[in-house]
Amino acid sequence: MHPQLQLLVALQDLDEMINETANQGTELEGLGFKHGGLDELKKSRDDLATKIEPGHLSWYKRLTGKFGHAVVPVVSNLCTGCFANIPSSFVSKTNENKVQKCESCGRLLYWP
Amino acid sequence: MDIAEVLKHTSSEHFLPNLTATDKQGALAEMVEGLISGTQISRPDAIMQMLTSREALGSTAVGPGIAFPHGRTLAVQRLTIMIARSTEGVDFDSEDGNKTHLFFMLIAPPQDSGHQYIKSLAALIDRVQDGDLRDSLMAAEDYEGFCNAMKEN
Ligand SMILES: [Zn+2]
Repeated sequence: MHPQLQLLVALQDLDEMINETANQGTELEGLGFKHGGLDELKKSRDDLATKIEPGHLSWYKRLTGKFGHAVVPVVSNLCTGCFANIPSSFVSKTNENKVQKCESCGRLLYWP
Repeated sequence: MDIAEVLKHTSSEHFLPNLTATDKQGALAEMVEGLISGTQISRPDAIMQMLTSREALGSTAVGPGIAFPHGRTLAVQRLTIMIARSTEGVDFDSEDGNKTHLFFMLIAPPQDSGHQYIKSLAALIDRVQDGDLRDSLMAAEDYEGFCNAMKEN
């Protein structure tokens, strides 16, 4: 996997966790969980973001604003964001060298 | 949510009756290794990273002797629950300072829109409040015995 994509996946997982703490925080705290490290977590998120190339980062932000998730898994040769077909040649030839975008919706593609 | 419904997300392959690790990172790594074995999951590092961040947010050792490491990651396609036990106990930064002996690890994909995993988490936490049940779970001989104890009223 492209190192930049690896960082984007980690960034999205962190954003997911931060959003969950904001949206389901009360429910989770009701179950006994505590979120004292939230500020620290936001700081690590921002530190991670500085390692991502500005072009990728702004694309990530734009897609997150538009779709909720910027990076989506490719399953059975389909973009799971818009269900467009992703040619299998796409994967093997360029996956390692490039951060791939779905040609139909622009989402960043991840092969799990 | 019914406990039998929750247990559909785990299996005998996702049951580690004797963890060998005694520290948090080691125990998480052992559980992630168990989670991915025999599956198509190719990014254990992403799962580890997510779980480590989650523990930095606050320890998930919230039950008496029990922890519930959890979170969502792109690395998995469906909700999977890993169950693990440690007779010796793991230092999991619990609030009461006691060691953790029982683990329910819930890993969900980001697309889990119905918050199925939070509902499963709530059902598990509610179920293990019973001290006698916790003793039976620690004593269960195998996965089947463990599940039967979980489902008993
Ligand atoms: Zn697409």
